[in-house]
Parts: sequence; structure tokens; C-alpha cells
Amino acid sequence: MKLPMSQIHTLHILNKTPEHPRFNECLAMMGPDDALVLTENGVTALWSTSKAALPKVFATKADLQARGLVAEANGATSVDYPELVDLTVQAKRVISW
Amino acid sequence: MTTLIVIDQAPYGLWAGREALDMAFSLATFDQPVSLLFTGAGVNWLRKGQTPDAIEQKSVERNLSAAPVFGIEQLLADEASCQRYGLSPDELIDGANMARGSSGLLASYTNVIFSN
Repeated sequence: MKLPMSQIHTLHILNKTPEHPRFNECLAMMGPDDALVLTENGVTALWSTSKAALPKVFATKADLQARGLVAEANGATSVDYPELVDLTVQAKRVISW
Repeated sequence: MTTLIVIDQAPYGLWAGREALDMAFSLATFDQPVSLLFTGAGVNWLRKGQTPDAIEQKSVERNLSAAPVFGIEQLLADEASCQRYGLSPDELIDGANMARGSSGLLASYTNVIFSN
């Protein structure tokens, strides 16, 4: 799956669940040209991120499968690890929350 | 002497939830009346279709759905948390039931232990 080459300003990598304070801090900091990657426990937040009007949301496939979740069902795109690396290369800067 | 173990950590990302599950199962094997309440991100333990092989972990779905066989009395999911995580009743593992308002529930057990 070739990822869109549109420029990502900041890539936010988030492995926290909505209860964690850093979860809302991350969402609040997201700009229109930013992208969000939910990983590990962060993928459980798919339901709440699908409600927030976020520009681009990705989620790591292995973590989704582990938890019985489907990204596309919640308006996100699932990525494997090589694709995650592509995203980090595309972005001008990366924040790992 | 009844025990309620409350799990509010999401599955697989941290070990705390799994340790609490092991504690519940060992209490049950020694015939201690024990129930489990999943709340917050913890309700995700109860979602069907977990296949964690790619992250090299064992699925808990099998032992959770066999909880009654192990002697665990109740497998409860906090309803508000299920809504927050988009978890409908039919996506819950067999044997898990929705529970409303965990505060009243906690009062009905002599021992309540939160997973750390």
C-alpha cells in the first residue's frame, strides 16, 4: 500500500489510552498538516479519535489485531512497521508521546 | 469473604492487568469467591477476536471465557467504559456481563483490589 506522499508537518506517535493525561495533550497539539499514529495501548482509543475531527489517523496493525480492533471501521488507516517508518521519514518532525 | 478485582489497564500494553488476572485465577483455584470488574481501558480485555501473536503474547480470551470453569463467579464490564471504547454487548467475550455504576458494586464486596 503506497502511502500518500503529501507532506506531514508533525507526526504524533501515541501509545497512551484516553485516560492518560498525555492523550489529550497530544490531540490538542495536533495541527491541520499533522498526522497521528496510534500504537500499543493507544489503538484502544480508535473509537474516541474517530469522533474528534483529526486530519490523518493511522494505527499499527499488530496492535490492532492483538486487541481485536479494525482501523478502517473507525476512519483510521492501519499500517505495518515498514509503513510506520515511511511515515516518520515523510514527517518534518516526530513526537513520541 | 468475597473479593472483587478491578482491572482498568488496557490489555497487552502493560503487565499490570495480566498480573491481576493471574491473582484472580489463583484465588479461584483456592475456592475463594472472586469476581472481576473491567473498567476504563480495561474493558478492552473483554473484546472478542484478540490475536496477539504478532506482538508475541498469549491471548487471554480463552482463559477469560473459561473463567466460570476456573471458579471465577462474575466477569463484569463497566457499561460507561464500554460505550467510551465503542464496545457493544455482542462484542464481549462469552460469560462477560455489563455492569452499571461500579461504585455501588464495589460496596458489595469485602475485599476490592485494583490492578496496580
